[in-house]
Amino acid sequence: MMKFLSISFLFLFLTFNVYSANIDLRLEIFSGNLSMFDNSTIPVLTYSDSSTFSPSSPILIFEDGDVLTLKVVNSDANVHGFKIDGLIDMGSIAAGDSVTQAITLSAGIYKYYDPSSLENQYLGLSGLMHVKGTGDLAPYYYWNLREHEPFLNISVSGGGSIDQTLYSPKYYTINGNSGDAIDNDAQAKIYGNVNSEFRLIIMNHGLSIHSMHFHGYHLQILDNSKNPSHNGREKDTFPVYPGHYQLLSTTPDKPGEYPIHDHNLIAVTGGGQYHTGMITTMLIAP
Amino acid sequence: MRILSIISLFLLWGQICFGQIDYTKLIIGRNQGTHYFHDGDSTRIFGFTETLSEETNIPGPTIEVNFGDSVKIDFWNVSQGAPHTIHLHGLDVDQQNDGVPMLSFEVEHMLHGYYYFKAPHPGTYLYHCHVGSTIHLQAGMYGLLIVRPSNGEMNLNWDNGESYDREFSLLASEIDTVWHNDTILDHDHDPMMPLMVPETFNAQYFLVNGLSGSQMNDPVNYMYFQPNDKVYMRLANLGYYGVRYIFESSLNARTVSSDGRPLPNVQFGDTIEVLPGERYETFLQFGNQTSSILTVEHFNLNTHLVSSSQEMVFWSSSVGIDEISNYNVFPNPTDDLIFFSEVPVDYEITDITGKMHQKGYSTSSSLVDLPAGIYLLKIDSRTYRIVKN
Repeated sequence: MMKFLSISFLFLFLTFNVYSANIDLRLEIFSGNLSMFDNSTIPVLTYSDSSTFSPSSPILIFEDGDVLTLKVVNSDANVHGFKIDGLIDMGSIAAGDSVTQAITLSAGIYKYYDPSSLENQYLGLSGLMHVKGTGDLAPYYYWNLREHEPFLNISVSGGGSIDQTLYSPKYYTINGNSGDAIDNDAQAKIYGNVNSEFRLIIMNHGLSIHSMHFHGYHLQILDNSKNPSHNGREKDTFPVYPGHYQLLSTTPDKPGEYPIHDHNLIAVTGGGQYHTGMITTMLIAP
Repeated sequence: MRILSIISLFLLWGQICFGQIDYTKLIIGRNQGTHYFHDGDSTRIFGFTETLSEETNIPGPTIEVNFGDSVKIDFWNVSQGAPHTIHLHGLDVDQQNDGVPMLSFEVEHMLHGYYYFKAPHPGTYLYHCHVGSTIHLQAGMYGLLIVRPSNGEMNLNWDNGESYDREFSLLASEIDTVWHNDTILDHDHDPMMPLMVPETFNAQYFLVNGLSGSQMNDPVNYMYFQPNDKVYMRLANLGYYGVRYIFESSLNARTVSSDGRPLPNVQFGDTIEVLPGERYETFLQFGNQTSSILTVEHFNLNTHLVSSSQEMVFWSSSVGIDEISNYNVFPNPTDDLIFFSEVPVDYEITDITGKMHQKGYSTSSSLVDLPAGIYLLKIDSRTYRIVKN
């Protein structure tokens, strides 16, 4: 049954969150709580593309040449910012204030983030922006990787700082989801078809290094920010370093359901429970 | 009964898909092994063996097949407790043969399960249990799988590829003994219930091919080469830390493939970083050196700090180590004095990196001031390996 639903999911996915031509976008900074699969909550800070708190910063998808008029509203009590390296820097945005800037977008994969501190990025003020090339019709999936150490989130939310030498995360999420919620995320769960290419962008917003392994398939690295000389490699396991991304592609040759997971197998657990962390599957229809 | 039916179906599937089987390999799953560390401690492990009589070791036996072979793995689970599987890591097998519970099949105690695949690109692959995989992999259920060229040639990396004189395979991992307590290893297995695991993993032992600490540079575990050898290294990691294999620059390390596929551009560099689940193949060019040190670092993927730095030794088998012809070197190992001649002779004592520690003209020497370790005693152009306790 799931196989037959794949086309429907794919259609929903392709029409989800896609902006075109001249675009007005409003991102608002909120603090709130991210819920884990075991109903525990962790304080986070995120950009939201609605007027209410979002548990994770949105995936922004545009097309080459789009003109984006972006308004960022800071509804948190502290000063924040918004930056995309080489593209836009809104400077400091005071609590309750907002900044609006317009930019013309070029095809590429970008990380947007609050440059005011690593701590704010750790809490959730970073996200993925994908500007598709002209005529790029390939289906894309998006994974934003992040780990969470609850006591560190509480500490950082109260003004504390990160000492990475002591970092020992408890939860691992994809697009802010853990446990079964990852499989219900249409942007993360891969629904493919034999002989039909799909692409996956994995961006690491956390502090840990992740090693993502694919069952059933080798994928080709089309682009990666850490080691551009590795582009073109075909692998089944991909290092994704903090702050960096991998753009991967494959054209399936056989049907089936195949897991994809961090091969640091501690990261497929969460809260002391297997397998609730960075793991999902790709479901390939004949 | 349901399990038997499923296994029968997969058996039928295998026969339909693969017809003639070129190679069949029996792998046995065990859950009552013991692993001994360099410091004398030991811990309970799970593992794979080829026979019922052999000890369970980390890693399990290396499976070797030829490119294009139709392969059947006969997996026999002889371990009371949770079921097990074999996941063929990197071989891109179909779902039925992928070894993932719920999506494929798992093998209960005293039953056989059969995995079928056609050996893909020559290269270095892995296999491991995928039941409660965070526990079972850490417990020791893993090993290497090597696909050789189609004609089975041992000194060629792939068909029409590059030849070499000898190869060594290194598989890194770790052990956190907390994860080896019976309460963890003998976990309940109900697919409908959550499987609880420790929240953190903090290894005490950092392994390469199951060796740790002084085991890694024990002469019995040296990697022996001949002068001017071209050596092919298979570098893998199935642990929960990152690993850096750091070669001496004189070896001109040249990495040509990863995860069973040639690299589009050769990677030059002495440090090969291998994350969990990755494999790399690297050429080394030896000259006339006596030895060379390989440093293996394990680093924490969360803190990025190096947790362990250990050394392995390449040793030239052309060097007359321990030759007892003109000289009798004793006692070896020693705590203090070592005797090597009845009449005074010129001698040198260096460590294995070539650093000079003693030089003189005598019938004996005192090693009491030297740190414990392996040293080289050179007399009359002969070299002897001596050990200071």
